[in-house]
Parts: sequence; structure tokens; C-alpha cells
Amino acid sequence: MTAVTHQAQAIELSGSRSIEAANDHELLAAIRDGDEIAFQELVRRYRNPITNFVYRMLDDYDRAVELSQETFIRVYTSASRYQANYSFSTYIYRIATNLAISELRRRKRRKMVSLFSPYTNDDGEAVEMDPPDLNVLQDEALIANERRHAVARAITSLPQKYRAAIVLRDVEGLSYDQIAETLKLSEGTVKSRINRARNLLKEKLSAYI
Amino acid sequence: MNSCKSIRELIDEADNPNLLPFEVSQHVDACRDCERFSTERAGLRNLLGSGLRVTAPMNFDAMLAARLAETRNRGWLSWLVPANYFRLGAATAGVAALVMVAQYSGLFSSSLTPSQQATVATTKSNQPAAQSTQPPVADAGIVADNHVQRERVTPIVIGPRVGSSRLAAVTIGRVRPRETVSSDDLGVVLVRGQNGGSDVQMPTVSLGAQPLLYVSAGKQQSSRNVGASF
Repeated sequence: MTAVTHQAQAIELSGSRSIEAANDHELLAAIRDGDEIAFQELVRRYRNPITNFVYRMLDDYDRAVELSQETFIRVYTSASRYQANYSFSTYIYRIATNLAISELRRRKRRKMVSLFSPYTNDDGEAVEMDPPDLNVLQDEALIANERRHAVARAITSLPQKYRAAIVLRDVEGLSYDQIAETLKLSEGTVKSRINRARNLLKEKLSAYI
Repeated sequence: MNSCKSIRELIDEADNPNLLPFEVSQHVDACRDCERFSTERAGLRNLLGSGLRVTAPMNFDAMLAARLAETRNRGWLSWLVPANYFRLGAATAGVAALVMVAQYSGLFSSSLTPSQQATVATTKSNQPAAQSTQPPVADAGIVADNHVQRERVTPIVIGPRVGSSRLAAVTIGRVRPRETVSSDDLGVVLVRGQNGGSDVQMPTVSLGAQPLLYVSAGKQQSSRNVGASF
């Protein structure tokens, strides 16, 4: 039934409608039929949000680009198995989240710990040592740059389980139910994690709020 | 009247921190703590959301296309990947090791059950008189005994190691003259009380596919004489 629907969507896509007007599910159906243009359109739509999301998770731009590409490769190679039960954005964010979390775990195993993170808390998570900068900043660009770095450091210092939830919510703007689907958690758990993450971030970023 | 806790939950769950529901706004106007909480949350969410968003590099699509092509090629040529060589080699070595262990432990040869051992013992005591008139059997086992030149039936025990003993397979055969013993018989027969202190010609030992040759004075031999005393 699903295959028939996808086939119909693909036929419709290759017919009268332009590829820009097609929704994500239609593009996936076209990709399944070997349409490279549809895949390029899908990449165009999501490459920046996915790259930004992974970058916020890792605070490593080069690796974020690599993992973003890996996300699209997985979308392409598993297009035949995709089931349109929920939104495609949830699906692709889930792939990206899993890749980012795997990367974080790999880094943790390799003990790639920032110089700012010499301590661990009771849960064994790295806790950033972020002493307040008392220097007076006079240039607005410098202030903005410093604020940006402070936010990035504060996010990366969060425990892993809070990090994905807060980035998906407050950086990428996903709804609670989308985050719950992406992380395969209940909505209540997602709300709890976001609340905890905000409380932690409030302490770290109080100087900038 | 909603409690502060439920109001704060609603503030947290609001899609837009600057556009709160009416009942929340009403409560926040009257409650200083909740007002401060709302201000902090709005400031934090604005700070997180207003950060510089990174974008994909200009060559993102080209790099992705290259990686995708590489992935497609890897699909049907995956066995050429060097990592798979190691997997194949490790699997082959593992199978070879298992075969050697199984061969060495006698898994491929018939072993004696207690009842068979009892039969052998009985045959040993009864057969010399009963079968003394029968002609020699060509493919029987080996017994080397310089002192006993006459034909007689003797239980012959040959075979690989089982546990700490080399007694495993059993062949009931006849005593043959020394001249018929050769290394091709693939066994060593040591019969208690029958061999005396004579030399027994022993074939070379094969371990797996590689024969271990006995070298004497620089000359390879397929068999050697070993002194046996029982």
C-alpha cells in the first residue's frame, strides 16, 4: 500500500508539478525511483539545518559537515526502506542525532576532553570549567563573538542526553512531539530534559542573558 | 488560579517565549517570581536561537556526490576493501585451527567405548589359539617382534592421542614378520609383553598437512627405529 502511494507520488512528481513544489515524501518516492534531481532538492532543503544542528552538538565544523553528508548518504541508501509514518524532518534529524551522539561517544572513549573540561560531575559527565571573564569588551563584534563562543561552550558542556533535546528545541525550533519522535522518548521526558538543560544553561550564561 | 509551578511549565513549553498564553501573561503580571522566570527564559531562548547559524560549505554537494559514488561502488566491491581481507584471512585461519585441533584430538577417528575395550581384551586372550591356522591378512595392523616369528593373532592398538594415551582406534590383526612392516602402515603397535627390548620401526608423524621428517646424519628418513621396552 505504501509502495503504491509512493509510486503514485513519483509519477505525479515527474509529471506536471515542479520539483520545488514537491513535499518531502514525494521527493523520497522519486529518489526511490532513482531520481537524482529529487535527491539534490532534498539536500538543498536540509543541508544547512542539519549541518548547523550537528555543529551545535559537536562544536566542530569540519566533522559536522562530514556527518551531515553521512546523514544524506544514509537517507539515499535507505530510501527504499523509508516509511512515511511521520514527517521527513523528524526522520532526517533522527539520523543526524544518532550520528552526532555516536561521535560524542567515540570522542568520550578516546578521552578527547576539552582543556576547559577537567572535571566530571556525579553522573560522570564532563563539566566545563568556565571561569568568568572579567575583562571589559569594548567592541561589539568582539562581544558578539564572545557570546557566540560562550553559548557554544555552554551547549557542549551539557550532558549528552540534554544536549540533543535543547538544540533541537531552542536552536532548530522543533516542537516537543517532533523531538520526542526524533529521540524516541516520551514527550514528558523531552520536556523534563529541556527544562533541566535550560536551568543548567541559565547558570552558565547568566552574564549574557 | 494556576500555581506558579504550572505557570512556569507553560512558560517553558511555549513555542514563542515572547507570546505567552493569556492566563500565563495574567499570572506573570501579578507574580514577581514568575515574571523574573519568564524574562530569564525568554532571554535564554533568544540567546540560543539568535546565535550564528553555520551553513554548509560551497562544495557540500560536490563532496556529497563523490562520497555517494564511493558508497555505490563499495556496495558490490566491498569484498575488495582491505578490511575484508583481514576478515577473510582471520576466518580461514580460524577454520584451519579448528580442523587441526579436531584432527589432533581424534575427533575424526573412531574411538573406543568401554564395551569395545572389553571386547579387545577378551579377543587378546582368546584369539591366538582360535585363529592360529588362518592365513595372514594383508591389511592388518603392525606388530614388530623379533622374538616371535610365528604367525599368531594379536590385538593391535593404533591411533592418535586420546587424552593422555595414544590408544584409540583398534584393529584386530595378525602378527606379521618383521619384513612386512613399513612406514606406510601408518601406525605404531606396542603390545605389552610382545615386543621385548627390540627396535620398532616407527613411521614419521604428520601434523596437519606438514610431515615432520626424521633427519639422521643429514639424511631425511621416512621412518626411524625406536627402542621399545615393555
